Amino acid sequence: MTKAEEIYTDTDLAESDRQTEERACLQEICLFLSEYSAWLLGSGATSIRLERNVRRMAQSLGCEAEMTILPRHIHMTVCLPDRSECYTYIIATHPMPISFNINTRLSRLSWSMADDRIGFAEAKAKFKEIISTPPTDKHLVLFLASCANAAFCRLFTGDWAAVGVVFLSTLAGFYLKQVLSEHKVDVRLIFIICAFVSSVLASTAGLFSLGNTPDVAVGTSVLYLVPGIPFLNSFSDMLDGHYICAFGRFMNALVLTSCLSLGLCGGMMMMNLSMF
Amino acid sequence: MLIQFLQDAFFAAIAAIGFAAISNPPKKAYLLCAIIAAVGHSARFLMMQPDVFGLHIVAASTIAAFIIGFLAVLLSPYGKMPAETCLFPSLLPMIPGIYAYKAFGGLIMCLTHSKEADFDHYFFLFANNGLTCLFILLGMVVGATLPIFFLKNISFQATR
Repeated sequence: MTKAEEIYTDTDLAESDRQTEERACLQEICLFLSEYSAWLLGSGATSIRLERNVRRMAQSLGCEAEMTILPRHIHMTVCLPDRSECYTYIIATHPMPISFNINTRLSRLSWSMADDRIGFAEAKAKFKEIISTPPTDKHLVLFLASCANAAFCRLFTGDWAAVGVVFLSTLAGFYLKQVLSEHKVDVRLIFIICAFVSSVLASTAGLFSLGNTPDVAVGTSVLYLVPGIPFLNSFSDMLDGHYICAFGRFMNALVLTSCLSLGLCGGMMMMNLSMF
Repeated sequence: MLIQFLQDAFFAAIAAIGFAAISNPPKKAYLLCAIIAAVGHSARFLMMQPDVFGLHIVAASTIAAFIIGFLAVLLSPYGKMPAETCLFPSLLPMIPGIYAYKAFGGLIMCLTHSKEADFDHYFFLFANNGLTCLFILLGMVVGATLPIFFLKNISFQATR
């Protein structure tokens, strides 16, 4: 082998080594960003926030990221600025209850990376720590949600007897929701059952002549089930031009609202009450 | 009137805290949500009073959501939170849940009543409640997101 040939082979090998390393690195970045997106979207972030966070992180890692956000999947492509290398991955969004705590901490993580406060390895470790954040204490949530629904009853001009009935019927319904969720029952079925139970319990205000506003008690007893955040996220995505994602989220919220209405109608029919 | 106004603010704050709890917010968010929701909901209450402004619920919700959005964007950097973390739970007490399920109830009644007059009545209830619900939601989100876009520098750098 001549000297030139030797040098050529050496540089060639070095080049291919560098490329393999870069590709592995790009692959790792793409997998990390996909995982990050799956969790951020699952925790209830809007599409605009997801796009901004991911682009910010990709930039800090010296590459560019583009993605398609679908209702249940994210299609992520990460490439080098000169487009010489590209890596694509499709990931399913992480099914989980909405968590603004995880959303907030993941957003902070993106800024920590963008401002070069932490490196890639540290970011990965931090990400693992964030996604294992435990949810809010369930007994506290149960109590606060019941108080909230009772306050709602008061806002809709219910009297104190109605407020008390709504508090208790929400307590029972929400507890049932927590138990059924733990047993991994289908969320639509949970909504029907809980709305039915809460409305039947709330109709006792009319049955035992408690107070003067039994209709308000029944009407507000199921409001803790209204999927407010999915509705807001859907319209927020729509304003931002993410129509497919907006439609997906809207349908999801609509199906849940229909289920809760179905449970409520069933409860009212059983108690011989009319909605209008 | 003043007592009603204060009562509205107080119960809206409790409702915001409770509904925020369902969506697992960071601890710092509870207080901010309560304050913002109290201001926003009581502002809507005031705007809807016939002897004050007498606004329609859609217009009143949009303006109230704008106030909520503005406050959320300005206050969220103090808790190092994205604006939505304070914003969305604060909007929850204004979500038109009753309109939503009344619309669905109307639809079911349409199916069970085949006489034209009855059908028309229930279809009216379905459309009336459904459209009101949709426009309240749209108005709320437009109102609440405008401040995020006006103050982009603050809202997307709050967690920095």
